[in-house]
Amino acid sequence: MATEGANNINPDDLAVGCMLSIRTTLGDEFEGHVVTFDRPSNILVLQEPSKPGPRRNIRLLKANYIKDFTFLGHAQDPLDPNTCFLDLTALQAREHVAVRQAEADAERIGVGVTSEAQSIFDALSKTLPVRWDKTVIVVMNEVRVSSPYHPESVFGGTPAANDRVKKVVIIFLLLCYDASKCLYLWHVKYHIDCYSSMCTRVACA
Amino acid sequence: MGCRNRDSFTEDHTCSSSSLSDALLLTTMCIVGLPVDVHVKDGSVYSGIFHTASVHADYGIVLKKARMTKKGKGNTNVGNEGLVDTLVILSGDLVQVVAKGVMLPADGVGGNITGDDEEAVAHSVCSESKTCEVENHTGPLMDAKQINQSSFDSPQDEKIQSLNSSHEADTCLGQEVAVEHESTDSTSSPFDNGLFCNNAPASVKTDDRCSERSTSAESVSTNSTHGVDLISESQPARSAEISAPRVTDSSRNAKEFKLNPAAKTFSPSFTNPMSATSAANMVYIPNSSPVVPVASIQPEVGFNTFASRPSVPVKVAQYNNLTVGNGGSGSQFSQPIVGHVAHRTQPLRYATHYTPVLSETAYLPPSSPAVMVGRSPQLVYVQPVSHDLIHGATAVAPVSARPLLNHVQFPKQQGGTIGPAMPVCVPPPVLTSGHQPFALQSHIPLLQPGFPVTRPISVPGPNGFYGTKF
Repeated sequence: MATEGANNINPDDLAVGCMLSIRTTLGDEFEGHVVTFDRPSNILVLQEPSKPGPRRNIRLLKANYIKDFTFLGHAQDPLDPNTCFLDLTALQAREHVAVRQAEADAERIGVGVTSEAQSIFDALSKTLPVRWDKTVIVVMNEVRVSSPYHPESVFGGTPAANDRVKKVVIIFLLLCYDASKCLYLWHVKYHIDCYSSMCTRVACA
Repeated sequence: MGCRNRDSFTEDHTCSSSSLSDALLLTTMCIVGLPVDVHVKDGSVYSGIFHTASVHADYGIVLKKARMTKKGKGNTNVGNEGLVDTLVILSGDLVQVVAKGVMLPADGVGGNITGDDEEAVAHSVCSESKTCEVENHTGPLMDAKQINQSSFDSPQDEKIQSLNSSHEADTCLGQEVAVEHESTDSTSSPFDNGLFCNNAPASVKTDDRCSERSTSAESVSTNSTHGVDLISESQPARSAEISAPRVTDSSRNAKEFKLNPAAKTFSPSFTNPMSATSAANMVYIPNSSPVVPVASIQPEVGFNTFASRPSVPVKVAQYNNLTVGNGGSGSQFSQPIVGHVAHRTQPLRYATHYTPVLSETAYLPPSSPAVMVGRSPQLVYVQPVSHDLIHGATAVAPVSARPLLNHVQFPKQQGGTIGPAMPVCVPPPVLTSGHQPFALQSHIPLLQPGFPVTRPISVPGPNGFYGTKF
């Protein structure tokens, strides 16, 4: 209904409770339920209609990046002043947990490694404590798997630990490589042989 | 309609045109600590944890652990190479902030004040409540001290980055802190932040927080050249955080053992010195209980500790002392339990304390020879069964066909073993009570359920020792 240029937006049109379809100057287009419009900062707060449940997406949009918008309807004020309260301790705890989680996730991402290396890291991390030492995967702080992350690239550690890591790497390679591709047949055959010999050794032991 | 509902919200617009509206402030608070996507004017998108925002006229925000998820047109000083510990996005660069999965307070986020309290604060500004309010909305919002802290404590791996030049934002932060500090002292401050009034303890620190914040904000504005005085107070926390992920040697050993038992601690001969880790995987026979032939399980705890001795009459029941000693964790079986439990069909199960060890046939050959297990005064004769069977044998389940587990759990040895040497033998046919033989032979597939389940086991026959508790 209302389509205005970015410079001619009347803040009063951005009334609380309005359902708007907004297109931004960057090309985003979305619908939202106006929570508030803050004139000093020129920020429009939108709550996106979403799936059932209390959690919704919130957008804080600078109004001067609105290219045009369409009025879709009117609804109730999403915020009830009588129930607006916050648990600051919970907020701080939430942030703390989120930061910790982000740090942990970041440590799992190898920098400057191939996706295959990252996949091997992820596979190893399912059962073993692993970390990155630059581009080298360090397992149990003793076994090191370096590029190209093949069984023969596994070094260090006790023989048992070393064998275990090798086995995981071999199994990973076996699972990931497509044997139908001739290019990798030799590779797969090699690892199958390695794995078979390892199994034999294990059985003998 | 909504605007009319917010008469109290709009009062502060008339009083202080430079501060954000309470609704925006509330929304901002709601997304603190949540992952957000921030679109900037060049089209780039940064994802990070929303840390704080400038509550002054300009709405600059600070992200923690941010990374660029979409490259825009412009050249920014923040690359997409990795994680940025603290990213300051100025108001001028900000286009929109998208937070997903936010629960607005009206949707049920718990808080510390009721609506009535909030209303009272909103309409009658007193110095006490004002102190509280300023503390509350400035604390989590602009905790510039943390920014400062992270920049000084470990500058090699943590950095504050600001899109383009951060000096404007820094100045903004400094001004904001000054205003807030003023409002703390002034009862007639136009701030109306009753929404964020918290309970009493928050207001205690107000002055300190503000002073810290002013100092830290100043140091931020000078771009990490001041604020050395903050290092001392931030260092312990930082070091604690750093040290937290590190594992001690013992825990690492435990982890290594879990992963590779044979490599570290497994030894068929227990005459070797044993570490604490290895000791935790041995059979413990309490020497203070010579006779414990009858098995029972406590429904409350789900496990028990017994020693068995075949030469004792079946119906003699006695708890050994270890039961009490291990009652706290309640997870110790020292020996296979035998006795007057013939009709029982449920196996006794270990509970939590046994470290699951991945099955590695190299370390746990199923045909392992008989092993003498013992600590200096004691010997335990373990039948040539696999370790899995050792674990399963303690359950003294009737011989049944169950799939073998992929992991082996060793009985744990705990406590001192002081007392006379008491070799305890557990020959394959241990004690049976009539009908069903409870065998502990290696060739019998004594098998376990796929996951440890503690099951209460009924004890046949009255037993005066158990009393009403059991």
